[in-house]
Amino acid sequence: MDNEALYARIKLSLIEQFDVDESIVSLDANLYEELAIDSIDAVDLMLQLEEWTGKRISPEVFKDARTIRDVMDALTDP
Amino acid sequence: MWVAFGLAGALVGLMVIPVISLLESEHSLRQHRTRCVIAACFRWFVAVACQLRIVSCRISGIGHYDPGASQLILANHPSLIDVVILISLFPQADCVIKEAVTRNVLMRRSARIANYISNFDPALVLASCVDRLRSGNSLLLFPEGTRSDPDAPLKFKPGAAEIALRAEATILPVVIDCEPTFLSKRDPWYRVPSRMPHFDVRILPPLRPGDLVEDVAPRRRARLLLNASLERLFESALA
Repeated sequence: MDNEALYARIKLSLIEQFDVDESIVSLDANLYEELAIDSIDAVDLMLQLEEWTGKRISPEVFKDARTIRDVMDALTDP
Repeated sequence: MWVAFGLAGALVGLMVIPVISLLESEHSLRQHRTRCVIAACFRWFVAVACQLRIVSCRISGIGHYDPGASQLILANHPSLIDVVILISLFPQADCVIKEAVTRNVLMRRSARIANYISNFDPALVLASCVDRLRSGNSLLLFPEGTRSDPDAPLKFKPGAAEIALRAEATILPVVIDCEPTFLSKRDPWYRVPSRMPHFDVRILPPLRPGDLVEDVAPRRRARLLLNASLERLFESALA
């Protein structure tokens, strides 16, 4: 999955499952403060992303991730 | 005083617990015995602290606890001592512990043999908590996720509400009032309070998520509502 497709998937999840308003979603919006998802949503999102990409995000990286860009970096890092 | 408690803890952690694991090879029995030892130590700690008039402690409503049932024990967390009091009351409950504890030389062995849940992996913590409750165990959680801020209103993280909903758990609310603050997030451990801290521990009647929120689905909305209503329950009990 390329970056663009991954971003689109994440964006769709945020809008459809976590009731985030499409207009405020951006690569650098803070997931918790600006997009107002909670830590359980974040865990759900991470599990979905792991399933889609077949990659594993380590708990340390996950806890430090604050934006969609952080999450995507964690998934694309070798 | 703290040194004496620390030495006693180290002695139990490094000597008594390993002996149990040598004598008992079966995992669940080993876990059971280890938790008994930890709870006995904590009961002793509370008794000594009360006897020496370092703190005073009043427990009410223990009849609401059912050792044979699976209950999700939720408590607020004003002081470091809370967990000691709670484990002494609920010896066989599962607990979630800081990842740091699983690395601490003095505590890691006891924590591992007692089979407590490490908070290292967020996804795993949720799943383990739900599994333990479903398998019939009780689970002890501080929904704040850390000690309370004495100056701010109570703020619960959504994890406890999520676990309650997923496991369809019976919630046992435990309201802890500590006056004056003692070993709170703000007080350094060496600070001696102006008067003897009193712990008032009230175990409230058990309730189901459905008693607090009308619809338990969809879960995301239910979690937000249940969390808010748990916060209100504790706030009003503490007021």
